[in-house]
Amino acid sequence: MSQATSFEDEHVVHSRFDLALWRKILAFGRPYLGLFAALAGVAVLVAGCEVALPLLVGSVIDHVAEHGVNSTIWPYAVGFLALSVGFAVLIFTFIGLAGRLSIAICYDIREASFRHLQQLHFGYYDQRAVGWLMARLTSDCNLLSRIMGWSLLDVVWGVCMLVGITVAMLILNWKLALAVLVVVPPLVLVCRWFQWRLLFSSRKVRKANSHLTAGFNESIQGVKTTKSLVREARNLEEFQELSDTMFLDSMRNAVYAAAFWPVLLTICSAATGVVLWYGGLNVMAGTLTVGQLVMFIGLATEFSNPIQEMSRTVTMILGAQASAERIQQVLEHEPAIRDSDDVRQRIAGRRDHPADAAEDGMPATIRNVRFEDVGFAYKPGQPVLSDCSLTAEAGQTIALVGPTGGGKSTIVSLLCRFYEPQEGRILIDGTEYRQRSLAWYQSQLGIVLQTPQLFNDTIRENIRYGRLDASDEQVVEAARLVNADGFIADLADGYDTKVGEGGNQLSTGQKQLIALARAVLSDPQIFVMDEATSSVDTETEKLIQSAVDQVLQGRIAFVIAHRLSTVKNADQILVIDDGRIVERGTHHELIAREGRYFSLYTNQFTEEHEARILAARD
Amino acid sequence: MLWTHKYRMLWRQMAGHRLRYGAALLALGVAIGLTFVVPLIIGVTIDHGLRGKPIERPWLASIVTPETLRNGLWQLGLLIVALTAAAAVFMHLEGVLASRASESIVRRLRDTLFDRLQHLTCRYHDQAETGDLVQRCTSDVETTRSFLATQVIEIVRASANLLIALPVLFWLNWRLAIVSTCVLPLIVGFALVFFRIVQSTFKAMDEAEGALTARLQENLTNIRVVRAFARQAFEQEKFDVRNADHRRKHWKLYQVFSVYWSVSDFLVFIQMGLALIFGAAFVAGGTIPVGELVTFWLYVGIMVWPVRQMGRTLSELGKALVALQRIDEVLSAPVEQDAPDPPAGLPDRLEGRLAFRGVTFGHQDDQAVLHDLSFEAEPGQTLAILGPSGSGKSTIVNLLLRFYDAEAGVIEIDGYDLSRLPRKYVRSQIGAVMQEPFLYSKSLRDNLKLGRHEAPDEDMIDVANSAAVHDAIEQFDDGYDTLVGERGVTLSGGQRQRVAIARALLQDKPVMVLDDAFSAVDTRTEAMIVNFLRRRKGRATTILIAHRLSTLMHADRIIVLDHGRVTQQGTHEELLRTEGLYQRLWHIQTDLEDDLKQEMAAV
Repeated sequence: MSQATSFEDEHVVHSRFDLALWRKILAFGRPYLGLFAALAGVAVLVAGCEVALPLLVGSVIDHVAEHGVNSTIWPYAVGFLALSVGFAVLIFTFIGLAGRLSIAICYDIREASFRHLQQLHFGYYDQRAVGWLMARLTSDCNLLSRIMGWSLLDVVWGVCMLVGITVAMLILNWKLALAVLVVVPPLVLVCRWFQWRLLFSSRKVRKANSHLTAGFNESIQGVKTTKSLVREARNLEEFQELSDTMFLDSMRNAVYAAAFWPVLLTICSAATGVVLWYGGLNVMAGTLTVGQLVMFIGLATEFSNPIQEMSRTVTMILGAQASAERIQQVLEHEPAIRDSDDVRQRIAGRRDHPADAAEDGMPATIRNVRFEDVGFAYKPGQPVLSDCSLTAEAGQTIALVGPTGGGKSTIVSLLCRFYEPQEGRILIDGTEYRQRSLAWYQSQLGIVLQTPQLFNDTIRENIRYGRLDASDEQVVEAARLVNADGFIADLADGYDTKVGEGGNQLSTGQKQLIALARAVLSDPQIFVMDEATSSVDTETEKLIQSAVDQVLQGRIAFVIAHRLSTVKNADQILVIDDGRIVERGTHHELIAREGRYFSLYTNQFTEEHEARILAARD
Repeated sequence: MLWTHKYRMLWRQMAGHRLRYGAALLALGVAIGLTFVVPLIIGVTIDHGLRGKPIERPWLASIVTPETLRNGLWQLGLLIVALTAAAAVFMHLEGVLASRASESIVRRLRDTLFDRLQHLTCRYHDQAETGDLVQRCTSDVETTRSFLATQVIEIVRASANLLIALPVLFWLNWRLAIVSTCVLPLIVGFALVFFRIVQSTFKAMDEAEGALTARLQENLTNIRVVRAFARQAFEQEKFDVRNADHRRKHWKLYQVFSVYWSVSDFLVFIQMGLALIFGAAFVAGGTIPVGELVTFWLYVGIMVWPVRQMGRTLSELGKALVALQRIDEVLSAPVEQDAPDPPAGLPDRLEGRLAFRGVTFGHQDDQAVLHDLSFEAEPGQTLAILGPSGSGKSTIVNLLLRFYDAEAGVIEIDGYDLSRLPRKYVRSQIGAVMQEPFLYSKSLRDNLKLGRHEAPDEDMIDVANSAAVHDAIEQFDDGYDTLVGERGVTLSGGQRQRVAIARALLQDKPVMVLDDAFSAVDTRTEAMIVNFLRRRKGRATTILIAHRLSTLMHADRIIVLDHGRVTQQGTHEELLRTEGLYQRLWHIQTDLEDDLKQEMAAV
């Protein structure tokens, strides 16, 4: 939650109403026009009830004042009861309707955003924090749907109230009515002014609050460092600056908030005062009854509610414009990587394809993958990969080695078509891979990342993610193939063990084994692996090693390799540095050259042996 | 826990601001008193002014006559405005005073919590979850704040309304007064019972929202896996299930709310209707005049709405008390205690003579334990520790920094028993670099100077050079002013370690501890830094935990640790001559040469 709130900071307040933007957001309400109409109807009736109440009170008073002991009060009692029941029913209905509307719209916006996010390319995710995206689909969605559900109601109700009150007063006594209506313009102005102020000052409070949260977070995470540096006093001083800012901002907000209601009340009392004075004169002159005077007092005090509500709605809509903009940004972001028109046409005509062809009508078997002078840059002018050419034949393993940030991961991302090359071409059996179906191609890939990502579910379901229709036996079979079966069987719940958030109930090695099983189950034609660097105990290390050997057999494999055994067995070793392939060949060839690979190898040799000796223990 | 304890807790928090609260309540009382005059004025004017009824109450007769009322209608109107304006001033005063009190209380609460967090024992932090602690310090404090700022006042307002209105109503006409207030307890009771019953609905909604958010987070963080297996449709389906469940629970909540609001509004209407109809009957029977009915009617209107709110507010009280209790748990957790009688005349700077004598420490039942550990280091010496992970290396550092205290045995620094020295004093003598160093979200400059604020920039750049991080820092657009962390750049593990080493070097303490401080630094850079440390030899007693022999070999003494016991110790030369872990590690080099020879031969 704290993560979501920390992204609220960027709220910008727009002072101009962006009609085009809201029209797009309003389109989400189109399926619910019937609900909207019903809601508007209810709002009119509610306003009617509220205007009727003071009128009823006034007429009772007139009746008893006039008839004394001969009064018949029961019809009024029945009338009041009817009004009470009617009002309760209306309240029940309108909360139900508005709730249903806002919930339905919330669902729809969220669904549409999620669906769209699934289509967006990787670059989009690399530029945005998960927390930022989460805030769009949670707090922004909630805010917009609440506005759509309630603001229409507020506006219709408010307008009806104002009209109803005005008409009632004009009919009763138009001169007195005009005198009372004088308070409306100042009421409107005051409401607008205060609500603007409060919008800004409460934002400042929220911002100060997120800084406080960050401060607490830091103090907890860095507690040992703080202690070892004996920085407690200084940290407290710095924190006190933050909490002072929070105090001042909150106080500023509170001063405005505390003034709003009293000012409104005072303005409304002017209306009451006018009624008592001018209305009193009328009563004495016989042109107004006491009951009507009471009606006027009742109606005049009801004025402030709709004005307050309506100005709140307007402020809320303007305040939510930033949310609307951000949601719209997500929805309108064009997926940069998707099937070309030609490919889509071929997929559409898939019935005519031969049975053994892929959905785009081309051969389903991949015999080789070729990079031709591939170049790529995440930011223009800063290439991370240039002139990269390589060929991988079926059954071959390509090991990518070299320093961090040299470009290994970029090669893999391009291979997986998470990104597309800006220069050169990537060919599958001689066909540009943009000419192939994206979904088909990616489903031929088996990918195991350095830090394996697992879902918070059972081990069984995590493995099954590789092939959704796999039977339980096939899941176990895959686990057995990668040697994961042993440790899974040792767990209390076996395959039904929950792996926890991000798989944190398992060790890194175990996670990697499950990720391998998942990839094996999907039976990919191209296998991509980023070996884990973090230390894994010797036992698991051996298991993983033989599992990897198993998996690589007979497939095209790209491995970002950290283990010597993987590298040594590779058919080709590419040493990547500074976005270029600086050496290539087999292990023996490269050792003999005594170049970059040679020094990488000797380093790795020492480290692996050190680790092994340290782990072996006496 | 006694139920009164919670309220006492609340009362304690208000210390120092109780007067301000009192003033706020007083202002509120005055404001309510003033507003309550208005319905009286209207009633009296109607009865005696407009309808010309003779004034019977003597006190009223002594103030006004029907004639003055008739002639001074405009003055009466003005009086209403003036009274309301005066009430408004007091209301504002009340609001500001109450906010000032509550905001001051929570500011103090936040500061206290922050300071407390820093002084809690490491054991406490080890078992506490960061998220939970942060929540206690933020959202629980916020719940307390909103309770102190608004809900306390709301309850007081509703009660004050009743307290002031009831006597007036009973004084005017006790029978009508009873009729006009008889539903009020029902309204409060309904709200209390209702919110207790529907708590499960709220919880279900919260859980559905949590599940939806969790699903979303899983999808977004694992988006690579989703793509890698082209599982968009599957994910969409899973998300839709949660989204629909959320919709259903949300809808339930609205249904519950529509019941609540319609029923409580109905009760409010009934209360007002009773007052009106019975009042009208009394008027018809001649028991009360019309104006008094109007007064009653207006009073009921003023009273009933806050009472309706009060039911809800009272049910929120429980939440605030729970929040306060969670805060109190943090505030009453154990903090680090120093021995009551520290040795007198401690020097500003110790020499750095270290000794562990028979130290035993059992971290947890089966983890990282030290058994009867003894070693010594003279000032300026370098002591290297080598051992497999989990052998107790870091525990030695934790004990030295007094994050924990040994269970048996003595740790001495310059002959002083560590456990008798103030913790802060001990820590101020040690420059420590942890395996996963923490950097604050400040500029690199501030981070480097954390341990010595007054250090000139030249010294800072010097140490940054020594720790081989100066060039990396210069690469950033803002150089040393670059912000680190969430709002700034993310440093790699190796860069963070090097910054932390530079930070410790700048501190220039008599004891320096490097706890696996090179684990993410590449071999060549490590060698550079170690060379610098060797040149600086003698400045500080250094405890060096590492696993590369080239880093350890120059130490004055090397300890090989396993399962919390010293298995070997001596100089590099001594250890090389003895069969054991150290020797085996040293022979890797020979193994490598053999391996390479084989590889070459195979070509």
